[in-house]
Amino acid sequence: MNTSAELEANIEALLALPPYQAEPKQHASAMMAVLRQELAYACEQNPRYRNYVEQWPVDYRTAQRVADLPFLPVGVFKADPPLALISPSEVKRTLTSSATTGQVPSRVVLDAGTARRMTKGVTAIIRDFIGPTRRPYLVIDVPETLAGVGPLGARGAAIQGLRSFATEIVCCLRNDSSGNPELDMDNLMKCAAKWRDTEVLVYGFTYVIWNSLVKALESKGVTLDLPKVRVLHSGGWKRLERQAVNREVFAQGVASAFGCSPDRVIDFYGMVENVGVVYPDCDHGNKHVPAFGDVVVRNPLTLDPVAPGQQGLIQVCSALPTSFPGFLLLSEDLAQVVGHDGCPCGRRGIYFRFIGRAPKAEVRGCGNLETSRERGETTHG
Amino acid sequence: MVDFVQTVNSPQEILSTAERLRRVFLEKDISPSTTLDVFERWAAVLERGQLDVPGLPFLRLWLRRGTLEPILQRELGPDSLTGGWRSDGQARLRAFPLGIIGHWPAGNIEIQPVLSMSCALLGGNVCLVRVPRDLRQPTWDLMQRLAEVDQAGTLSERVAMVTFDHDRGDMQEAMAKVADGAMIWGGAEAVTRVRALPFPHWTRLAVFGPRLSVAAMDTASWSDPTMRPTWCQRIARDVWQFDQQACSSPQTLFLERSTTANPAAFVADLKQAFEAESRAHPRQQIHPAQTSAVCLARASWLLQDPGQSAWFPMSPDWTILLGAGADIPKPAQNRTLTVLLVDDLMEVISRFDGTVQTLGLATSDPNRETALAEAAGRKGVDRIVKLGRMHVFTSPWDGADLIRPMVRVVRHVASQN
Repeated sequence: MNTSAELEANIEALLALPPYQAEPKQHASAMMAVLRQELAYACEQNPRYRNYVEQWPVDYRTAQRVADLPFLPVGVFKADPPLALISPSEVKRTLTSSATTGQVPSRVVLDAGTARRMTKGVTAIIRDFIGPTRRPYLVIDVPETLAGVGPLGARGAAIQGLRSFATEIVCCLRNDSSGNPELDMDNLMKCAAKWRDTEVLVYGFTYVIWNSLVKALESKGVTLDLPKVRVLHSGGWKRLERQAVNREVFAQGVASAFGCSPDRVIDFYGMVENVGVVYPDCDHGNKHVPAFGDVVVRNPLTLDPVAPGQQGLIQVCSALPTSFPGFLLLSEDLAQVVGHDGCPCGRRGIYFRFIGRAPKAEVRGCGNLETSRERGETTHG
Repeated sequence: MVDFVQTVNSPQEILSTAERLRRVFLEKDISPSTTLDVFERWAAVLERGQLDVPGLPFLRLWLRRGTLEPILQRELGPDSLTGGWRSDGQARLRAFPLGIIGHWPAGNIEIQPVLSMSCALLGGNVCLVRVPRDLRQPTWDLMQRLAEVDQAGTLSERVAMVTFDHDRGDMQEAMAKVADGAMIWGGAEAVTRVRALPFPHWTRLAVFGPRLSVAAMDTASWSDPTMRPTWCQRIARDVWQFDQQACSSPQTLFLERSTTANPAAFVADLKQAFEAESRAHPRQQIHPAQTSAVCLARASWLLQDPGQSAWFPMSPDWTILLGAGADIPKPAQNRTLTVLLVDDLMEVISRFDGTVQTLGLATSDPNRETALAEAAGRKGVDRIVKLGRMHVFTSPWDGADLIRPMVRVVRHVASQN
């Protein structure tokens, strides 16, 4: 079944706006209008989703704010088969999250329309941060991550999402004989020589960049002479926390590796379920919401939106998906709202800082039959 | 200031604490009656105090002579109060303590360190109690009241409350190595980990492992509009206590189907009772991961089957999930009660697999209740109680005695006979 033409047009209208210039009230009103349409559409497509929406404490048709609309916890996308608004024959691609070992990954299905909007959304956001120019694209990963068959993982999706900025793509890691990624030094040095005076886009998962590039170059005493790079990275800090690598240490290490300034290193937050929306840090260290998205940071005790300065669970919103109900998603991550408008970078609307994954609740008590093995975690010693 | 819960940082500190306890144990016998005297004074001071410790009313009642004397007599025999010998045919029997009892209480029941300790003290033992981090303050408060009424140190000197990080394997091992007996409480992971510690071969273990509990109502009980609100209040009370994380907390409520009554009317009353309980006992804090778990339970239930319903506020305060089926769903806890319609409560009980600890019942027919209780007992249920009393524990606990496992009953056959 095709998305209604009116809904499609309204989503496209949001995508066509400058991503960060909308006055907050206008933005909220425009998002509410599209989200209501999307909820109605999704309820028509999926009776199970309709059951959820109908039993939500606030009727979405009369709700006054995005925070009152029926959000889904991201955990529902671990279900098999994936929660969808399209028939299996319409699925063009399945995206999977980067679950840690033993855990079930999230899976979301994309049809052609959603996939196209996803690319447009990411492109609009990134363009606002690095400009529209196409440039060489250095991927800090192995080529297999980009393989075109089967479900696409979070790393692959993020790499693909930046393709529209590329004149050429080079992956600078390769699998060694044991299947572990290693730096393809010859290839990297050739690229560095060729691209010395050009703008270059670099992308990799945060821990991959650190472990496979920065540490490898450091150990060889090599610095690349690429002062015009823009290094984008995502995927979270958990693995680097164990190595005591924070944002500053990371940015400095990457800058040393590329021979660039640390402010050319941009961290962004994103999740595969929140298709088409990523949240790069602005020059003031804040994250912003595009015209086709929104963020609600909720107090865990009440689930009410928090005031500036307070922390809570992040709910991400995207007007872009129509192949699965990913419009309003409560993540398992924590953020702090910095302000509702007025970031010195000039981008309008709510701005926030990512804190990290909400820690697992301590499993305790005589009523708990679950073991760490069942939860897919390692046992404490 | 006396530190009633001592933070320890090295295995050596555990060992020296154990040495002190061992000296007291060897030098000073104590009769159950003497222990009961101190407990009685302790209960009285807890009655007067302004402590805000969940489970305190239960503890006060537990410590009363009127509660414990019958338990002692049932578990250890009629002469057990004085700690003397009792005849057994040609022989005589007497209970002797094991020695140092290590206690590993669960992290979710504020009164459990003290409760566990009280059982071993009644057997004449000395106690080394590992207090979970989050229970440090309530335990400190309770022990401070004990010190007030026990200035001679009759019981206080027989107890060491210690706290250390649960990840400290070396400390856990040190504690296990000095234990002649161990009382282990808690979830699957905690219990498994403690049981695997290097206890001496003679150590007796009393394990109160993870269980879950369910509630059930026959048709007449839930469909009677005059009694329904009262039953719903009782259910809400059972759900709220211990934030539904205790082994005795009802996770699922089974309703026997009625051809005339509408379950929606029952759920309306239950919702009112939950709202009232939430107003009376508002949550003060919640872990973000628990909020996520509540939201996921709601969504998963409604997305699973369009025929299933749910009632909940915008906040994570409480959740009622309504559906049908005789199997117990995976517990969501955090004040999330799954209400399932079934044709016959016997069908539910027939599917129990030994994990069900308590069956909270509301039935109108005593004969039917007896039949349900017998069936539940056969299927591994250890407690069958009225709804509203699911957390009112006494011995036997999880089907086992509480004092008896931490004593040795010595048999003496006189050589003159």
